[in-house]
Amino acid sequence: MVPIVKISNLDKFFGRLHVLKNISLEVEQRQVVCLIGRSGSGKSTLLRCINFLEEPSHGTIEVDGIKVDGGEKGAYHRQLVHDVRLKTGMVFQEFNLFPHKSVLENVIEGPVIVKGMDKKKAIELGEENLDRVGLLFKKDEYPNRLSGGQKQRVAIARALTMEPRVMLFDEPTSALDPELIGEVLNVMKKVATEGMTMIVVTHEMGFAREVADRVLVMGDGELIEDAKPADLFNNPQDPRTKALIDRYRTGEQ
Amino acid sequence: MNLFKKGTDEQKSQADLLFEAQQRKQNLFRTQVALSWVFLLLFLLFLFSGLEIKSGEGVTSLSAWSFHIITQNNRQVREKIEKPLASFPFGLPNEGLDLKTIVVDGEFIKENIDFVAEGIIQTIRISILSILLAMLLALFAALGRLSSNPFIYALSTFYVSLIRGTPLYLQIFFFFLALPQLNIVLTGLWAGVLALGLNYGAYMSETFRAGLASVGKGQREAAIALGMTPAQTMRRIVLPQALRFAIPPMGNDFIAMTKDSALVSATGFVHELMWRAQKVGRAEFRNMEALVMAAIFYWIMTLLLTSLQSRLETRLSKGDR
Repeated sequence: MVPIVKISNLDKFFGRLHVLKNISLEVEQRQVVCLIGRSGSGKSTLLRCINFLEEPSHGTIEVDGIKVDGGEKGAYHRQLVHDVRLKTGMVFQEFNLFPHKSVLENVIEGPVIVKGMDKKKAIELGEENLDRVGLLFKKDEYPNRLSGGQKQRVAIARALTMEPRVMLFDEPTSALDPELIGEVLNVMKKVATEGMTMIVVTHEMGFAREVADRVLVMGDGELIEDAKPADLFNNPQDPRTKALIDRYRTGEQ
Repeated sequence: MNLFKKGTDEQKSQADLLFEAQQRKQNLFRTQVALSWVFLLLFLLFLFSGLEIKSGEGVTSLSAWSFHIITQNNRQVREKIEKPLASFPFGLPNEGLDLKTIVVDGEFIKENIDFVAEGIIQTIRISILSILLAMLLALFAALGRLSSNPFIYALSTFYVSLIRGTPLYLQIFFFFLALPQLNIVLTGLWAGVLALGLNYGAYMSETFRAGLASVGKGQREAAIALGMTPAQTMRRIVLPQALRFAIPPMGNDFIAMTKDSALVSATGFVHELMWRAQKVGRAEFRNMEALVMAAIFYWIMTLLLTSLQSRLETRLSKGDR
């Protein structure tokens, strides 16, 4: 099977800080990959390198056949980056809905402005996706009238309406009150079962164990483990992974 | 307000009662403020009413002074005339009392009010042209302040520093009187608009900059992740939010500018409110009446603009975080 995301020899420096160290990774279509690791291990940075919110220092990113070398400049590079962004949808920790636009306007902004989609068609598609996350009835509200969980679900609908090949989630439940986490995870599960390729940076071990096909563990800028969730949780190899999972187990009890 | 539907006092919670008491207190305060305003306004009117109270041995009288047109040596002149209103058979001893308020020349106002009022149009024209120029300059200056290009950054700070470091009055004269030496001749109107626009642009750039800075990094990232270009991100996501933030202070600037447009009268060639008031006032030595007229016009304009501004603010606050 051809991987839909392929990262090769990726390095990222922040000044002199080596945040990502020679990372290579392939994600296949329809796979749900969870990225876990302690904060500061570089998992968010890795995710943000995939759609070039962070420009990689070295290495290549390939998404759905579009291959982009990191650290380049110029119009051609910008075009490639743009193409990659069209293939990826991103969901942020802080939702980042546009507060001056209604829920529906938030969702159709991308298709209409970026893709030049006919507004009628975009509304159709947007409403379909709002229905998918169960928030069609809120389409005319403004984001400030929504709960955190609802905001995040709209953000997911917004990303889905761009019809991406891969969805990137950057700690989608970390800014939520505990009682609101469930509704967001449920929507993510639904999107996963519908066959979307997903890369999820998360602290939700339960979600990782239940939904992920693969769990990647990051530590100190390196991929230290890559396993099926069952294997990883029952038989962690790296001591850092062990520590992570132990902490999760204590939290669970 | 029907905040609390139905229900008797017993059914209301402690919090509701407390809230209501607070509301009543606030309403009372507001009523008192409004009444005080009316009182102050009436007092001001009284000061200019031309009433006189005289009190001497055994008699106290109230009279009203006003100007009337009379014919004197075949010429019509305006003369101050006293009209007794009432007198009472008692009074203060010794020196007594003589309280006289200001007598306004009503005939003069009647004759000249139309001429002065016509200046409003010009005042509004200057203000609108200037604010448009100022907004444009302020936007570029603010973007310049956020630029990573050192020259553009310098250009923006240099402009702001130079303009804020010199008087507006000087700037108006510079454009009107100094530029002709370089064979650039501007009409009074355009010299004024240019000076006001440059001046307020410099001040407003700070407002714009704060507005742009108020839009979080996450907003830009979300737009970029959707595939928007930097220009689209700026136009569709950042600017609308920044503007909403900047509208209230911009409204204040616009109101301030409307009043500062009076300085343009100094060129002598822009027939706006202030110029007209000065012209008629000087001609007949009725400066008080003329300036009071202009002051009232400015005040009314300011009041209208203020209410417009607060309405705009309410409309813009939809979807506020």
